[in-house]
Amino acid sequence: MASSTSLLFFRRMRLPLIVLIAAYSIATVGFTLMPGTDADGNPWRMSLFDAFYVVSYTGSTIGFGEVPYEFSKAQRLWTMVSIYLTVIAWLFSIGSIISLMQDPAFSQALRCARFRRAIRNYDRPFYLLCGYGDTGRLLTRSLTELHHPVVVVDIEQDKIDALGVEAYKAPVHGFCMDAIMPQNLTAAGLQSRWCMGVLAVTADDRVNLKIAVTARLLNQRAAVYARADQGHVADNMRSFDTAHVVRPAEEFVYRLGLLLNRPYSYQLYQWLRSSPEHEFPKAPEVPKGRWILCGFGLFGKAVYRVLRETGLEVTVIEENTALEGLPEGSIAGRGTQAETLRAAGIEDAAGILATTQDDVDNLSILITARDLKEDLFCAAVANRWSSGPLFEAARPEYVAQPGELIAGTILSHIRSPLLSHLFNRLEQTSDEPAKKILDRLVPSTDSVRQPQLLTVRLSKNRAPALHALHKAGELLTVGVFAKHPLRPAERLDVEVLMLSRGDEDRLLPASETELEIGDRLLLACSPAAARRVRVLLESDSVAYRTVTGKELQEGWLFRKLEGKLSMGKS
Amino acid sequence: MNISRVVFGFFVLLALTLNFGFFLGEIDNPDHHDVYELFAALVVGLIATVMKLGERSQMSAMLLASSLVVDLHLIAAVLVWAISVHVLDVGLTPKVMASIVSLSGGALLANLLSVVLLTMETAGYSR
Repeated sequence: MASSTSLLFFRRMRLPLIVLIAAYSIATVGFTLMPGTDADGNPWRMSLFDAFYVVSYTGSTIGFGEVPYEFSKAQRLWTMVSIYLTVIAWLFSIGSIISLMQDPAFSQALRCARFRRAIRNYDRPFYLLCGYGDTGRLLTRSLTELHHPVVVVDIEQDKIDALGVEAYKAPVHGFCMDAIMPQNLTAAGLQSRWCMGVLAVTADDRVNLKIAVTARLLNQRAAVYARADQGHVADNMRSFDTAHVVRPAEEFVYRLGLLLNRPYSYQLYQWLRSSPEHEFPKAPEVPKGRWILCGFGLFGKAVYRVLRETGLEVTVIEENTALEGLPEGSIAGRGTQAETLRAAGIEDAAGILATTQDDVDNLSILITARDLKEDLFCAAVANRWSSGPLFEAARPEYVAQPGELIAGTILSHIRSPLLSHLFNRLEQTSDEPAKKILDRLVPSTDSVRQPQLLTVRLSKNRAPALHALHKAGELLTVGVFAKHPLRPAERLDVEVLMLSRGDEDRLLPASETELEIGDRLLLACSPAAARRVRVLLESDSVAYRTVTGKELQEGWLFRKLEGKLSMGKS
Repeated sequence: MNISRVVFGFFVLLALTLNFGFFLGEIDNPDHHDVYELFAALVVGLIATVMKLGERSQMSAMLLASSLVVDLHLIAAVLVWAISVHVLDVGLTPKVMASIVSLSGGALLANLLSVVLLTMETAGYSR
């Protein structure tokens, strides 16, 4: 707190200040005691007032000379004493102030105070991000694009320093401290009423778990999004109502599974579950046949399970043959060597998956495999974000970067919580609805911008205008969102992807479907259309006009004249 | 025994005694009130203020406040003295002296409160 910094300051300044007061009073009293003469040669002594005047200008090294009369020898002697005394006292106190400013503990306290003040002054929803690695950077960029301030906490000062030079569209405050300590999270604004969510995306599962627990206990209203590499940690987090837990390996495998079995769902998922600036993904043709899997680590194991479940034959290449759960018939060695790949039967394989933890190895596997067999389906894990350009150049059919997977998934949750319902629903059906949705969203498959996703809830608070209309007995349909309020013939760029009523989720509801209070809708629209939809939800006159096609008479007189409607927010 | 508390108590008490010494005497008689005593009371008062800075307890906040009141009173008294003697050259007339001494009387009250508070705090300490 600010008061603790000032407290520290005064404690440290106590001695220098006392020295200064003492030096001044000794010098002043000394001057009044020294015998001198006035202009006429009469004996004269300085009064305290004159003495303090002389000390004041000598102490500050200004030096007006000898006033009011020329000094006697005794007074000059005392002048020398007082000069050294006061100047040294000044040097001492100024030196103390400077050393205090440079004291790491003090500057830390100052920074801390400034940080808290900045967070206290937030007046809009912000997110608390723990761990500024690849994932953290992507999340910060996307969240600030959505105009949410972000408070970043990381244990390494370097990363926080790096934060200072990046240009973001919303305030970003970085602070170097250990997120595992609850009081640090509280200092970072965890208990603020504007704290919308806590994102635990450090590379350490233990830390993420602790952050998730802390956030759940100290702020019930903030949603917690956490990364977990290990399965048991993820289960643990889910057990106490964490808003969303992302396991990079699980996410990778889920997307791979979609790619293998449901290409349209894959495209939709990959697209909507990534950062907004992401391009529309292509769904490459996956050949049928045997797969070679290089690396049997966290990703490798998960991939193996999914490939087997899909009914594909898999040959594993792994250096460490003592690994638990390694299937029979695995080839020992590294996938980077041609002999090993040949031993795994690359000539008649359909695809290869490079999932080792080393990006150089993964790249080398891809290049070697391509050399051996031209038309091989290549998929790889790019562990580090920095090796992204290399993977782009190597052009595997499918590449996934854990940081992007985590950031994209968390982000899509933040943008629209209903999106998970959509994908859950898509999982239960065939691939056909996904294709329909894609056709609606992407008229041409060139690079299109990701649509803005809106979650609309038909309630008194979230959609007051529509709620009032419904109460007044007007018929509301799904089609109302796509209607232009002024030009009825025109259709807005709004697609209703899903209607969620109670436990039931309806994909792509027909535009005649009637709406009921409590319905939740997932809309995909262009940014301009999104603004119109928001106005429709809140403005009585726009809503009335859009639904009935007539003008709403506002004001008591006009209503009386029209004599029938009693609209307004009652 | 805590040496820092001894020093602290010393200055607070000394501020009171010096102040009292200056205050003592006929209110408008310059012969009863020495300028050096007023100066000493002010310097000790300032040192006591600095020593109270940066203390944490509720009591010390009150101590600091009373000390600031002392400083204010004494600085006012010193200013009256300096202005009437050196600037306006009216000298130490009974009226000027009375106002200086009554100002220092106010400071005396605040100093007294300081000592009482300090005693209370110390008494609370040992319990």
